[in-house]
Amino acid sequence: METQLFHIFRNTPLGRETLLQSIYFCKKIGASPAIYIPKFTKFLMYFENDVVQVDLDESYLTAPNTASDHATELLLQGGFNPRFLEPKNYTASTLPDIPTNFDFMCCPRSISDLSSKIGLGYIGPRVRRIVTSARFPVLISSPVYKPWKSITVFFGGSANAVKALRLGCRISRVSGIPLDVFTHAENRNKEVYEKIIQKENLEEDMALYADKWHIFEKGTFEENLYEVPHDSLVILGAFGHGLIKDIVFGSKMEKIQSVISNNLLIVGPKYTATT
Amino acid sequence: MFRPDDRLLLMFIGIIVGICSGLAALALNKSLVAMLEWLHPYRHLWWAFVLPAAGAALSSLFLNKIVKEGAGHGVPEVIYSVSRYGGLLRFRSSFSRLISSCLTIGSGGSAGPEAPVVMSGASIGSNIAKFFSLNDRQRITIVGCGAAGAISSIFNAPIAGLVFTMEVILGEWTALNIVPIAMASVAGTEVSRILQGNQIPFSHRQFSIDLVDILACFGLAVSTALASILLTRLLRSMRKISGKVPFPLWLRAAVGGCAVGGIGIFLPVVLGEGYHSIRTMIEGGFSQGLLIAAIGTLAKILATALTLGWGGSGGIFAPSLVIGSLVGLTYHRFIVLLWPSVSWVNEGCFALLGMAGIISGMLQAPLTGIFLIVEITGGYDVILPLIIVSATSSTLCHYIEPASFYLKELVDKGQLLRPGTDARVLSDLSVLELLEKDCITVTPNMLLREFIEVVKKSHRNYFPVEDEKTGDFLGMIHLDDIRPYLFNPVMYDAVFLEQIMNPRVQIVRPDDDLSEILHRMNKNRLFSMPVIGNNKFLGMISKATLLDQYRKELRVQTTN
Repeated sequence: METQLFHIFRNTPLGRETLLQSIYFCKKIGASPAIYIPKFTKFLMYFENDVVQVDLDESYLTAPNTASDHATELLLQGGFNPRFLEPKNYTASTLPDIPTNFDFMCCPRSISDLSSKIGLGYIGPRVRRIVTSARFPVLISSPVYKPWKSITVFFGGSANAVKALRLGCRISRVSGIPLDVFTHAENRNKEVYEKIIQKENLEEDMALYADKWHIFEKGTFEENLYEVPHDSLVILGAFGHGLIKDIVFGSKMEKIQSVISNNLLIVGPKYTATT
Repeated sequence: MFRPDDRLLLMFIGIIVGICSGLAALALNKSLVAMLEWLHPYRHLWWAFVLPAAGAALSSLFLNKIVKEGAGHGVPEVIYSVSRYGGLLRFRSSFSRLISSCLTIGSGGSAGPEAPVVMSGASIGSNIAKFFSLNDRQRITIVGCGAAGAISSIFNAPIAGLVFTMEVILGEWTALNIVPIAMASVAGTEVSRILQGNQIPFSHRQFSIDLVDILACFGLAVSTALASILLTRLLRSMRKISGKVPFPLWLRAAVGGCAVGGIGIFLPVVLGEGYHSIRTMIEGGFSQGLLIAAIGTLAKILATALTLGWGGSGGIFAPSLVIGSLVGLTYHRFIVLLWPSVSWVNEGCFALLGMAGIISGMLQAPLTGIFLIVEITGGYDVILPLIIVSATSSTLCHYIEPASFYLKELVDKGQLLRPGTDARVLSDLSVLELLEKDCITVTPNMLLREFIEVVKKSHRNYFPVEDEKTGDFLGMIHLDDIRPYLFNPVMYDAVFLEQIMNPRVQIVRPDDDLSEILHRMNKNRLFSMPVIGNNKFLGMISKATLLDQYRKELRVQTTN
């Protein structure tokens, strides 16, 4: 079945970087981009048990007469036939419904603030809601176009981390790009993680695709993030520990995205992983 | 999670939702009273006409800039969500319309608080259902509980809340829905009775109705139907006109509000939700003559269209009641003028019947009109003329405007998917669910001889042809296409599939609507079509599989 990535196009230099990143991602994993050029600053995404209203900033409506041409040009350069998504249904006259049956979605770090405010350490609440509710992983692109030469999966043993590892193996298999696994041992030894891998039947995949498994037993989590190659696609699970633990100890995703500027592929709790 | 029984759980959640939506309705009611009292001293001042403008502008700014929702009363949004997305509603909708409608109505805009509380109650229900991870059908029931609780609370009318929800919001009467929604209605009503007393909103003295009054009701029904159509069309045209004005949304709302304020200087009856005016009319205290009553009717219709059509926030329930009572009054005065010797029933009775006529006409929901008026006026003594007016008015309106005010936009866009209808069943299925993937693909440079070997292995009549290098779909071959060559073995090594394939075959995209696909199959007498995504063949979709899945889905949707 055709793998699709949903991309909201912003007709600005920053939007161009993001689309280039999506095109690169699609080329690597054999997906095709479905581009949405917004006509309104808001749209709804109806998930299985939640509805998320995505409020875009005004920059998404920049120069609507050239938006389609600019996106088409980049897509053709990338070797894709342009495919634009036109919403069929509207909850209100200025509130289109966007389908949620994609395989991936590309988001900047925030889709509701002006680009001037977007920086490391900030993921907008809408992006969080999408990650929490979606069945697809969310690609949070780096601020500038940055081709990746390796894949890094953060594996901490949680259910979502297992899903992230499965996805990492799948992307490594499809793209032929080497996979590194990073584990920050939290008072646990390697055997515990190996048992999880064994229990999840991921031993074979690890042997086939994982180039290196870095287990950090010293240093803080933030310090060890320096070891992540700058040109690597980082795959991680998010919101896998439950709300209370995330509030008390902080989410790993929030820590990672606030420290590194790599492209992030975030796997939420609703994602159903296949290898 | 431990779930003793789904029905008990739904009843329990229904009660919680009924209480919450009842409280939301009361909060709006109390806020409106407070705001009306606060602004009362300024109403007689010369600049008071700007009050509705300020309220409508603030309401529009709040909706568009702060909570980022569109204007409108929200009931079509609830119906749309129920019919297409299992009742999923945004959390912000649980309070947004309460605040915006309070600003619009409290400042004097001609609108009602009922639709906003329906939206609020439905959203509360939807979000509580999300919290309990209920499935789509259960969530829809709980959304209905929210709407029922809100209407029951604001009118102190539990049956009207139940009937309105089943007739207008859900569009189906099933045992699964009725019990929790009834419980929510009771809970909403009880909240209202505990916190503000068991009051009948428009109580009246006993009416003595004769046959001649009942006969006159047919004329009243025609009048209310015409008024309903006028209000519906004026509202729609005001929206179109305001949409063409190149002003920001808040300024458009202010323009509408200003015009309402201007009318209100001469005819204060048009301002606000108008419950006080209704009471006066039912009690027979409306002292002005026929002409003023008729002008008042038209002015209220215009004021409502200006308020809601230009971007104010609120519903049409309360204005419909005011317009209905004015129509009833005008009609009564007219027949008294024509036949002064007949001893007609008191004009308050016609005001009351007019309300039922307009509600039934606007909503095309006669039961809602009947039960609402019975409950808010506290008696069954007018039930016979009430039935006549409601049934006749809704039938006439349906004849002139096939879709009700709430449903018109949804019907026009093909987005009203009531349970058990073709459109609803097909919308719950997708092309990808119906894909038949057992087709053997062939290439254009394959010889007929090789193809015959492929045919032997396949049990299908269709063979998609794909480009050898790119895998792109090129066309189809049907078994009938090779029949002319089958009995001529000389051709086996002379004919390539490229020569006999059909490149102009009708195709289906993965995101096409199934109802449209079925229509195309019927129109072109096709039994199956290839599904193509991004130039690649994904599988076949056949009428047999589609109808088989249709039957299964219909069974799921219609079984409790």
